[in-house]
Amino acid sequence: MAQTPAFIFNVPETPEDQGQEPSPYDESEVHHSFHQLIQEQSQWAAEEGLELQQRVPEADTLGASGSGHQAFLGPEGVPDYSTATLRILASMPSRTIGRSRGAILSQYYNRTVRLRRRSSRPQLRGVGRSARPSLRLYDLELDPMAFQEEEKRILLVKELQGLTVAQRDHMLRGMPLSLAEKRSLREDSWIQKGKQRGPQGRRGLFSCCSRLRYACVLALHNLGLVLLSGLQALTPWRYALKQIGGQFGSSVLSYFLFLKTLLAFNALLLLPLLAFIVGVQAAFPPAPSGSVPAFTGLELLTGGGSFSHSAMYYGYYSNATLNQPCSPPRDGGQCTPDAGGLPYNMPLAYLFTMGVAFFITCITLVYSMSHSFGESYRVGSTSGVHAITVFCSWDYKVTQKWPSRLQQDNIRTQLKELLAEWQLQQGPQSVWGRLRQVAVLGLVWLLCLGTTLGCTMAVYAFSELMIKSPVSAEREWELLALPLVVCLLNLGAPYLYRCLAALERHDSPMLEVYVAICRNLILKMVILAILCYHWLGRRVGALKDQCWENFVGQELYRLMVMDFIFMLLDTLFGELVWRLISERKLKRKGKPEFDIARNVLELIYGQTLTWLGVLFAPLLPAMQIVKLLFLFYVKKTSLVANCRAPRRPWLASHMSTVFISLLCFPSFLGAAIFLCYAIWQVKPSSICGPFRTLNTMYEAGKVWVRHLEKAGPKVSWLPWIHRYLVENTFPIYLVSAVLLAVIYLNIQVVKGQRKVICLLREQISNEGEDKIFLINKLHSVYERKERSRVGRAHEAETPPTLLADEQDAR
Amino acid sequence: MGQCLRYQMHWEDLEEYQALTFLTRNEILCIHDTFLKLCPPGKYYKEATLTMDQVSSLPALRVNPFRDRICRVFSHNGVFSFEDVLGMASVFSEQACPSLKIEYAFRIYDFNENGFIDEEDLQRIILRLLNSDDMSEDLLIDLTNHVLSESDLDNDNMLSFSEFEHAMAKSPDFMNSFRIHFWGC
Repeated sequence: MAQTPAFIFNVPETPEDQGQEPSPYDESEVHHSFHQLIQEQSQWAAEEGLELQQRVPEADTLGASGSGHQAFLGPEGVPDYSTATLRILASMPSRTIGRSRGAILSQYYNRTVRLRRRSSRPQLRGVGRSARPSLRLYDLELDPMAFQEEEKRILLVKELQGLTVAQRDHMLRGMPLSLAEKRSLREDSWIQKGKQRGPQGRRGLFSCCSRLRYACVLALHNLGLVLLSGLQALTPWRYALKQIGGQFGSSVLSYFLFLKTLLAFNALLLLPLLAFIVGVQAAFPPAPSGSVPAFTGLELLTGGGSFSHSAMYYGYYSNATLNQPCSPPRDGGQCTPDAGGLPYNMPLAYLFTMGVAFFITCITLVYSMSHSFGESYRVGSTSGVHAITVFCSWDYKVTQKWPSRLQQDNIRTQLKELLAEWQLQQGPQSVWGRLRQVAVLGLVWLLCLGTTLGCTMAVYAFSELMIKSPVSAEREWELLALPLVVCLLNLGAPYLYRCLAALERHDSPMLEVYVAICRNLILKMVILAILCYHWLGRRVGALKDQCWENFVGQELYRLMVMDFIFMLLDTLFGELVWRLISERKLKRKGKPEFDIARNVLELIYGQTLTWLGVLFAPLLPAMQIVKLLFLFYVKKTSLVANCRAPRRPWLASHMSTVFISLLCFPSFLGAAIFLCYAIWQVKPSSICGPFRTLNTMYEAGKVWVRHLEKAGPKVSWLPWIHRYLVENTFPIYLVSAVLLAVIYLNIQVVKGQRKVICLLREQISNEGEDKIFLINKLHSVYERKERSRVGRAHEAETPPTLLADEQDAR
Repeated sequence: MGQCLRYQMHWEDLEEYQALTFLTRNEILCIHDTFLKLCPPGKYYKEATLTMDQVSSLPALRVNPFRDRICRVFSHNGVFSFEDVLGMASVFSEQACPSLKIEYAFRIYDFNENGFIDEEDLQRIILRLLNSDDMSEDLLIDLTNHVLSESDLDNDNMLSFSEFEHAMAKSPDFMNSFRIHFWGC
C-alpha cells in the first residue's frame, strides 16, 4: 500500500479565516493524503517554476470547458483560477503523464523496481498511469525523499543496472523519451556497471567487407519489399473494395467482403477433394461402362449426358483399391503389392476425405464466427465506436493523394452513419401507437409465413409430379422444370415480402434488415428441406436400379446453374432496367438501392447447395468458385452503374458477424445433417460409386477397422478406439457434459466482469467529482489568502496617512 | 538505389540505435541515407538538422492530415536531428509496442498541449480528418459530445491519458492504422 506520511499542514492561518465558512483544515481527518500531495506539489511548483510560463496564456482554455461544473465564477462568468491554483493544476499527475520528463522517469523507476523485486501484488492493467496515489507502489511522487528530476534519474539508472542487458534495452525502447535521452541513460547504466565500452577502433569506419555485406543485405531487402508489395497488389480486389467502401459505405462493403470469405471457404473445401479423390481417380480412370453420349450444349445446363460419366459425379469413382498391381489370388487371401505400387483404397479415401473436408470447414467457420464476435462485441460496452472511429479511422500508411481522398469520403460516410443511428435511438412512442405497431407486425408475419407454406406445398406437389412422370433420355431439358420452379419461387417471394414489409414501420433500419433476412431465410431453408426429403426419401426408392446418387448430384448442379442464371437476370432487370425506367419514363433521379439482405441470402443459399451436393458431385466447389468470381464483377459493375448508397445510412459493424453466423447455423448445420444422414442411413446404389457393395457408406470404415483387427497386434489400438470411443455412446455424454460446464463457467465469468466494470465506472466518476470539489476548495483557499494579503498591504499603507490626518487634526 | 551509400555511421552507433529503437538495421541505414540526402551536403550527420517543413514534405507524411502535429511532437526546438527522425520512425514502425504508440498518439492529438484532449482538440481532429470546413456545426458538436460521453469516465469534459488509453485498448484498428512505412528503400 502507499505510505501515508505524517500529516503536517502548515499554511499559515490568517485572522480573517476564522469564523467564515468551514475551511479545508477541518476536513483534515478525512483528506490526509491529498493534503500532503497538494502541499508537496505546491512546493515543487514554487521551486521549479517551469510550468508557469505555459500555464498563464492558457488560462482561458481551462475556463472554457466549464459547463456543468461547480466552478468558481469570476467577473466575466468564466472560472477564474489564481496563478497558484493553476500552478498546482499543471503539475497534477494526470496532466504531467506524457509531458514532463520527471513523471516519465518516476513511472519507469516504479516499473523497474517492480520488475526487480517481483512484487506479487495483483495489478490492474496500466495501473502505473493511474492518478490515484494509493494504487501506486513505491511512488516517487509521494515519496518525500526524492523530489528533483536529477535524483529521479539517478534512481532510475541505479535500477536499470540491476536488470539484464536484454531487459534494460527492452525497457528503454518502450520509454516515451527522445533518443538522445535514452542514449544517455544507457551510457550511464553501462559506465557505472564498469563494463567495457565495446571493441576498440571507435574512430574506424566500415571496412569494405561489411560495406559489401550491407549492400547485399539492402538489395535483398529491396527485393523482399517489392515482392511484398506485389503480393499485396495481387490480393484480390483490394482497391476495388476500398473504392466501394468509400462510395457506398461499409454496409454495402460487407456484402463484398462476405463474398470474398465464401471464396476462401470453397477453396479450402476443394483442395483435399482435388488432391485425394478427383486427382487420384483421374490418374486411374475406370473402364467405361456402356457408350458415352456425345457432348451437346445442354449438358452445361442439365449436368447430365456426357457429364454423368465424368469425374464430376459420384458414379465415376471405383469401389476397389486402386493401383494394386497384382490380381488377388484365388483363395481370397491378401495380395502383396509389388515394390513400385502403392495401393489406394478408394471407398475409404472418399469417405475420409469428405469427412475431413467437412470437419475442417466446420472448424474454420466456428473459428471465424467466434473471431468476428470477439471483434464486434465487448463486455460492458454497447457502443464505443465513436471514439474509435475518430482516433483510428485515418490509416497512416496511406501516402498518395487519391486513396487519401477515398479515405476521407469513407470516414465522412462512417461518421454520418454513426450519428444517424444515434438519432434513431431517440424518440418515445405512445401506448396506442405501440399496440398498433404490434398488430401490424403480427399480421405481416402471418402473411409471410402463409406465403412460405404455400411455396413449400407447391414445390412438394411439383416434385411428386416429376416422380410420377419419368423423363426419357431425349427430353432431358424437362429436368430443368423443378429447378425453374424453385428459383421462380425464390425470386418472387422476397419481392412479396418487401411489399408487405412496407406496411410495417421500423425505427431502426438494422431491425428492418434483420427481419427481412429472417423471412427470406425461413423460405429458402424450408424449400431446401423439402427437396432433401424428396431426394433421400423418395428418389432413392423411385430409382432403385439406377444410380440415384448421380441423379441427386445432377439435381444440385441444375439448381446451382439456374440460381446463377436467375441472379444475373435479377441484377439485369432489378437494377439496370429499373434505373433506365426510372430515369426515362418516370423522370426521377432516384437510382434503386442495393438490397443487401437479399443478395447476402442468395450467396448463403448458393453455398448451402454446394455443401449439400459435395458428397455426390465432388467438383461442385470448383463450379461455385467460378460462379463467385463471375458474380463479384457483375455485382460490382451493376452497383457502380445503377445503384446508390442506402437511403438511411446505418452501421454495418455487426453485419459480417451476422452473415457468418447465418452461414454457420442454418446453412452449414443443415448440410452437415444431410451429409450425416446420407452416410449413415441411406443404402447406396448397387451399380455405381465407391460404396456399391455396402449397406451404408459408413460401412466402408467399419470394414477397414475389421481388416485392421485381423492385421495384427501392432495397430490394435485403432480398432480399440473405434469400439470404445466411436461406437460407444458414453464418451459423447461425457464430452457434452464437460462442454456444458465450460460454457456455464464462461457465462458466469462474463457476468462478473460486467458487474466489476459498472462498479469501476461509478468509482471513476466519483473520483472526478472529488477532483472538482478539491480544485474549487483549493481555489477558495488561495483566493482568501490573496484577499487577506491585499487587505494587509492596504492597511500597511493607510496608517501613515491616518497619523498625518491626526496630526493635522491636532 | 544504385548510388553508393555513404556510411558515415560507426558500428557502435548502429548497434546502439538498433538496441534502443524498434527499427531493424536496414531501416536505420535507409533513414540515414535519406537524411543525408535532405540535409546540406558536407555536414556530419550527427550535427545536421532538418526543418519541420522538410520533414513534412517527406512522401510518407505529405498527405497525412496531422503532419504538423507529428513534426511538432517529435522535433526539439523546431528542428529535427537525426536521432529525432529515428525516434519518430521507431514509434511508427510495425514492431513498436502499443503503449508507446498510444503515448505519442495522445501527444499528437492534443492540439493545445494542455495535457488533455478536450472538446476543442476533438473538433480540430474531426475537421482535419475530413479535410474540409463544411461540416455543419451541429454535426461537429454532436460527434464531440458522443465521443466524450463514451470515453470520458470522470465527467470533466476532457479525455485524460488514461481514458484515451482505455478507449484505444478496445480497438484492434488502432495498432494497424498508426503505422507509417517511412522509407521507400
